[in-house]
Amino acid sequence: MASCGSWWRGLSVVWTLACVALWSADVSAATGSAVALRDDRGREQVFDGPPQRIVSLLPSLTESICALGGCAKLVGTDRYSSWPVSVNALPKLGGLEDTQIERIVALRPDVVLTAPSSRVIDKLESLGLRVLVLEPQTHADVQRSLQLLATMLGTPSAAAPLWAGIERDVALAAARVPAAVRGQRVYFEIDSTPYAAGEGSFIGQTLGRLAMANAVPAALGPFPKLNPEFVVRAQPDVVMAAAVPLAEMPGRPGWSGLRALREARVCGFQPAQYDLLVRPGPRLGEAALALADCLVALHSHP
Amino acid sequence: MNELANTALLHARDLRVSLAGRIVLHEVTLAPQPGWTAIVGPNGAGKSTLLRALAGLLPCDAGGVWLDGRPLGDWSATARGQRIAWLAQQGESSGDLTVRDVVMLGRLPHLGLFDAPGAADHAAVDDAMHRCGCSAWQSRRLSVLSGGERQRVLLARALAVNAPVLLLDEPTTHLDPPHQVAVVRLMQQLAAAGTTVISVLHDLPLALQADRMVVMHGGRLHAEGAADSSAVHAALVEVFDGAISIERIHGRLTAVPML
Amino acid sequence: MSANTAPQHAAERSSRRGLALGLLIASAALLLAGLAAGSDGWSWPGGSGADAGLIVGQIRAPRTLGAWLVGALLGLSGAIAQGLFRNPLADPYLLGSASGASLAVVVVLAASSLGGLAISGAAVGALMQLGLVGAAFVGALAGVLLTLALSRGTQETTRLLLAGVVVGVVLSAAGDLLASAAPQTLRARQVFLLGSTGFLGWSSVAWLAAGLALMLPVAWRLARVLDALTLGADSALSLGLALARWRLVLVAVLALATGLAVSQAGLIAFVGLVSPHLVRRFARAMHGYTVVASAAAGGVLLLASDVLARSVIAPQELPVGALTAVLGGGYLVWLLYRGRAA
Repeated sequence: MASCGSWWRGLSVVWTLACVALWSADVSAATGSAVALRDDRGREQVFDGPPQRIVSLLPSLTESICALGGCAKLVGTDRYSSWPVSVNALPKLGGLEDTQIERIVALRPDVVLTAPSSRVIDKLESLGLRVLVLEPQTHADVQRSLQLLATMLGTPSAAAPLWAGIERDVALAAARVPAAVRGQRVYFEIDSTPYAAGEGSFIGQTLGRLAMANAVPAALGPFPKLNPEFVVRAQPDVVMAAAVPLAEMPGRPGWSGLRALREARVCGFQPAQYDLLVRPGPRLGEAALALADCLVALHSHP
Repeated sequence: MNELANTALLHARDLRVSLAGRIVLHEVTLAPQPGWTAIVGPNGAGKSTLLRALAGLLPCDAGGVWLDGRPLGDWSATARGQRIAWLAQQGESSGDLTVRDVVMLGRLPHLGLFDAPGAADHAAVDDAMHRCGCSAWQSRRLSVLSGGERQRVLLARALAVNAPVLLLDEPTTHLDPPHQVAVVRLMQQLAAAGTTVISVLHDLPLALQADRMVVMHGGRLHAEGAADSSAVHAALVEVFDGAISIERIHGRLTAVPML
Repeated sequence: MSANTAPQHAAERSSRRGLALGLLIASAALLLAGLAAGSDGWSWPGGSGADAGLIVGQIRAPRTLGAWLVGALLGLSGAIAQGLFRNPLADPYLLGSASGASLAVVVVLAASSLGGLAISGAAVGALMQLGLVGAAFVGALAGVLLTLALSRGTQETTRLLLAGVVVGVVLSAAGDLLASAAPQTLRARQVFLLGSTGFLGWSSVAWLAAGLALMLPVAWRLARVLDALTLGADSALSLGLALARWRLVLVAVLALATGLAVSQAGLIAFVGLVSPHLVRRFARAMHGYTVVASAAAGGVLLLASDVLARSVIAPQELPVGALTAVLGGGYLVWLLYRGRAA
């Protein structure tokens, strides 16, 4: 009996290790307690132990750290990080363009998480800080970065259940979308330049999982800067945007011709909800549910 | 003095001018008669400042300038511009106007901003350019001219105003001797025709050809009188610290440096 | 006229005529191109009559006209600025109009979030009515007024320039401060600062056209002041010009034209700076001609940039401000290079 139990225990350990290896192709084998992680620059960073003081300069990464249980280790975030509510008490260190380098250094972080477009990467590294560059653009990226951060935090097994939860929520949202609405073309506007979310972006992928089509094809890239005429000609079935720019859309020259605007087939998002939708982080599932809810509301009030 | 003031078109009385807090002209009284008056003196004597004040370009702390019996400030800018023409010491000429266009600017006091130049204006411009010897280059751009050529163009601009009072600050700068002589002859012609010509000149041999001389020193009028009067000559020697001597050579007055 | 200058005079007159004709033809050609350039690249929209009419009539036509008008206002302002300050590097944003406009934009954007906190509800309502366009216009004018107040009039151009720099820096910093207090405005502010011709509609065109129709004749009439200023301020004064008054009027024209352009299209760089240089490259003339030709050149430059921005990577768009810098600046660089090699 005892040998049977230890056989199963050993097998489950091997099985867990195999799962971890399958989930994260980018994570190199651990040597002792040290962990080597390759970030989005292809740079490898070796962590002797989980970092105890983390600075995050991207809201999605802040959310990821917290969702993986590392919230207590955050010592500072950028000005836009707003979820969970507890991070609002942390020092705000500016944005990607105007990051406050001295304050970051004063916080003595073990690692700084940021995006590739951040201007301060070289400066921070020259000051001896460890910088991990991550920028999830697609669902696969989000999954990968969650795993990477979980490994960094010393809890590599925390990522899988989190991702499973996201997948569950997305599937749930997809089920909610009424059949009559499925396949309709959505125009999701990021800002009023106009920048839109293309098929290949994480927002576009979520919409794809909800069986919606995208007015902006994948060939144009994830977040193309569009000629406003394109949107008018495309005549999307549903327009989604932040509430304030959405209210001004009918005033744009020629946009009064958009049937979706005339028939109020629109989803306007308040700032908090808009933030939820545009962050490629652990709340992807919640975002999918929010989108589904709006589509349901559209269907029931035609 | 008052009699003289009555015949002088432009005169200054007890003029005090300060620049940047420092008094540059101390109670200067001057009533230049029609004819050519040369203002001379060592550097920093206040010659250019006096000319500027006479042109109405500087505010005065005390005293004033009268034009045709009325205070200068009472005249409208246009009326003043038609009666007093002023040539700057440092000839500025930015931009890329042609010579003719620059000289035509001298007609501004008569044209104002909105009128197109008429026959009279073109005639005045032609005459001014001819007298300064720059008719040949009227289509050339100012920027391609040499310093001396540019000076003649700017002088023509001042002449084109056809003003009864002509205030010239160092009109012979950059000019070579033949052209300096030409300018002197020009000033004598204008003076003979009744214009009040007042020129600041640091070149004493040229200044000594004038009708009258005003010797300035330290912001004060040191002496005034006919250019060939011995009192004026003595004053000249005095203000220049005895470094010059006034002589008559070939029948002409000149200043010889005492080496 | 002597023999050797007559042909030069004739050559210069013909180059002026040639430039005028060239600008006219370029404008007409670009206007046509603007009607054809769209999200499909070069195409006339097919489909039903009503839709094609909407595309061409409501989107492409006003955008094309609007881009030319914005460029014309900026070119006009640039010519005035360079003439007033006798500085070939002067641009229309010198006197604090740019930073004033962007501060006003941030104030309006942040108004809804700061409402109740810093300013009363009524003020918020008023600001929202004003809208971004109105706010930018008011802000630009306010910036210039502040500069005039700081320099105590237009007496000395150096003091005016310095005051403009100070006001520019201070208002810009104030805008940054406010924007960081209300971070949701940062994105929209960036959009404004970058400049765009994308949403110019017929109401914008009406404002722009009215503005240009008013400012251009005034500037053309006052061009003689700019000519006289080339002799130096004192000489201009001695010619009987009421210099302080006319300078003030010219600054007002500069402020209004720039404010109008900025309020409709954001801060588009370079057009004001480069247009007078482009004109002078082809034709030498007095300021009356230069001012009008700079307006036309500015219109052509911005419209060309706009058409290219729409057509090169259609249906995506390049930022129009980047293209004006490439087209205008690139040409100037080439001129410099040729000048050195010659």
